[in-house]
Amino acid sequence: MDIDQQGDLGEGSSTNRGIVSPGEIITSSKEYMRGHGTYVDEEQVVSSLSGTIERVNKLVSVKALKQRYTPEVGDLVIGRIVEVGSMRWRVDANARQDAVLMLSSVNLPGGVQRRKIESDALKMREFLAEGDLLVAEVQAFFGDGAMSLHTRSLKYGKLRNGQLLSVSPRLIRRLKSHFHHIPPPCGPSGVDIILGLNGLIWVSVGTSVESREGGEGFDAEGVYSNKNDDITPEGRQAISSIASIIKILAMYNIPLSDILISSAYEWLSSQREDDEDGISAEMGKRMVEDLTGVQVTAAA
Amino acid sequence: MPREIEPSINQREFVLRALAQGKRLDGRVPLELRNVELEFGDELGWCTARLGKTAVLAHVSATIVRPRDDRPYEGFLIINSEISPMASSVYEAGRASEDEVLITRLLEKSIRRTEAVDREALCIIAGEKVWQLRLTLHFLSDSGNILDCASIAAMTALRHFRKPEVEVSGRDVIVHSPDERAPVPLAIHHTPLCVSFAFFPDLPPIIDPTHLESVLSSGTLTLTLNAQRELCVLSKAGGSALSPGEIMGVVRVGVERVRELVKIMEDALRSDQSNRVIEVR
Amino acid sequence: MASSRLEILNDGGLRHDARRPYELRSLSLELSTHPNADGSSTVSQGLTTVSASVFGPREPKQRAGSVHDKASVVVEVGVAPWAGAREVRRTRGDKRLLEIAAAIRQTFEPVIMTHLYPRSEIAVHIQVISADGGILPTAINATTLALVDAGISLIDYVTSLSLGLHLTQPLLDLSAPEEADLPTLVVAALPSGKVTLAQMETRLHVDRFEEMLTLGVEGCGVLKTEMDRVVKDRTTRVVERMDKVIQGRITGD
Repeated sequence: MDIDQQGDLGEGSSTNRGIVSPGEIITSSKEYMRGHGTYVDEEQVVSSLSGTIERVNKLVSVKALKQRYTPEVGDLVIGRIVEVGSMRWRVDANARQDAVLMLSSVNLPGGVQRRKIESDALKMREFLAEGDLLVAEVQAFFGDGAMSLHTRSLKYGKLRNGQLLSVSPRLIRRLKSHFHHIPPPCGPSGVDIILGLNGLIWVSVGTSVESREGGEGFDAEGVYSNKNDDITPEGRQAISSIASIIKILAMYNIPLSDILISSAYEWLSSQREDDEDGISAEMGKRMVEDLTGVQVTAAA
Repeated sequence: MPREIEPSINQREFVLRALAQGKRLDGRVPLELRNVELEFGDELGWCTARLGKTAVLAHVSATIVRPRDDRPYEGFLIINSEISPMASSVYEAGRASEDEVLITRLLEKSIRRTEAVDREALCIIAGEKVWQLRLTLHFLSDSGNILDCASIAAMTALRHFRKPEVEVSGRDVIVHSPDERAPVPLAIHHTPLCVSFAFFPDLPPIIDPTHLESVLSSGTLTLTLNAQRELCVLSKAGGSALSPGEIMGVVRVGVERVRELVKIMEDALRSDQSNRVIEVR
Repeated sequence: MASSRLEILNDGGLRHDARRPYELRSLSLELSTHPNADGSSTVSQGLTTVSASVFGPREPKQRAGSVHDKASVVVEVGVAPWAGAREVRRTRGDKRLLEIAAAIRQTFEPVIMTHLYPRSEIAVHIQVISADGGILPTAINATTLALVDAGISLIDYVTSLSLGLHLTQPLLDLSAPEEADLPTLVVAALPSGKVTLAQMETRLHVDRFEEMLTLGVEGCGVLKTEMDRVVKDRTTRVVERMDKVIQGRITGD
């Protein structure tokens, strides 16, 4: 096998830049420490995944091309309620195990600050019922590795007025902010995008910064509302255009960022006719090539 | 399915440490079988095999039926082997668990697919009348390695069984009762028997694992062999990986053990025959 | 049956489909063939095509299926009605299908690093799309690729191959008519040469068996090389594209 040639973590060869597959020997465990995606066998660090080698000082890990979301404390995730339990919700957040949202980690409607009491527990299903979507932050881990979420910020909570997309978690990188706003002319009030680190993306009708973060016009009673606001046809079209852009970028495995999405929207508005809806496959391909400079022959 | 309680860490450590010293909890050495006991009933083709505390009762009966149209010269061998909760509380009545499916499939493979019984010799009149043998296995108690025990019981019962003598005159068939004429044995090509091994990481393999040993093992391997050094079935489904050398090692041990088992079986059959009052061929 | 009069090996030393004894059937390996699964693959070996999709590690569908210190592996095997599989009946719960499923589960349980995924479930769904011998080996190969695609930690690749014996001549990678006539051995091995699965169900002399086993392990090594090439190709392609975008002007970094 050609493993010996890659003794120096494959950094030497530029064509095969540290790409390994399961069972491939990376380096000697005497010099390096093993990280995620590797194991030690007979004093050798061996990869257990197919992906790229990442090295931080003496720690060697392998990042898989495609993998379920691995949560970290502080991550922003989007999830769906699967079960209402006693004093807690179970949330499917596309991870290895269902996440838990404790009743004590949510805000009460109206933003009242107090200890949760029994009468709140009885009203849990009124706040969040099975099937509801929410955006939350990873607060901590339980002993068994399941994550505990919290929504104790006005930015977090139940999601409405939009559409959910699911992409590979690898395409969403940790950024300073995961809440993005694309201003008009993209729809009458713009479009909001929430990039969840677990690969779920929420695209919804745009709101102003103040009303999002509890300033002027913040509807404190409406946090747990189940009703969508009235969205104009133009607003709906803007949402679906953004959603299509994200889907196309994800199809070609392009890492997502707010700048990329908004430039894609600008590109699209400059290219297509006014009465045209949707994006053809051909156009999507041109968009990706123009924006990223990557030649896309086939979706990988 | 009610899941079994896993053995405790202490128990696991104890078994593994003992094995590392070449000792097993019931006083055997790694490559030693438990005591095989064969017991015959009054009827022919009725046999209980005991392997330590594991016990299986096998019973063979024969009826005359019509053959299949595409196989007019062949009789039938039907194997009934449902594991009831009587054997062990892990088995559930009615629904077949995965273990149960694997046991019945292996039995079927090692008895039927290896053509141990000559099915053409079961023909009476081609296309009209053939013998249908029904081998019923009752799993009486399971303290590990029930498969090997069942295969010993099944083959002994088949060799112990005698079918009534029949006489064909034209299209008529006369079945003679055992009182009139001595019943005839089945035409048996060979005696395939199962032997199972359990493997542990960094330890030599053991033969005939008890229930506890097989739960703690990292993988098992079952061989079906006959006295002619022929390998009839080999089944190693997953478990820890072995080198071809290790596999050949246990195959060679298996050959020896099967030869011993066949001898025990033949001795038991012979002594039973000498005790019977009625004439048997 | 017509197949019993098939000429297994003709005077020129060729098999009924004009292969030489040690020649494998044409192999096609595809990754990520299922749009929603965490990992998936379609593998064709000759006229046998099997697709595997892996879901997980995820919350177990049945709470009772969760094990506190490792992931549980669930395997389900189905045969498409048009697959033309004579050896297995197509109903769910058929004993032979359950046996294949159990063999796959037991093969992969020690290979998947299950201790990394406590209280989760890894579900493998196998669908036989067309059958021409060697369902089990093709299914094992497809499962390996699907698990790699899903980014689940594996000790190493597992590859599998069927082989038969005609008189004294071993034949590799049997088609259905050959499988019906010859003693057949299915071997699954790790690249280290260790055998994880071996199944045989026809009479064979012990001495011949050893030869076949060694040959099978060697054949598995060839398959591993092919698989690794496909996996590496795909990984390289995707990684290069992502690097280009990240380094590109547009992200504004």
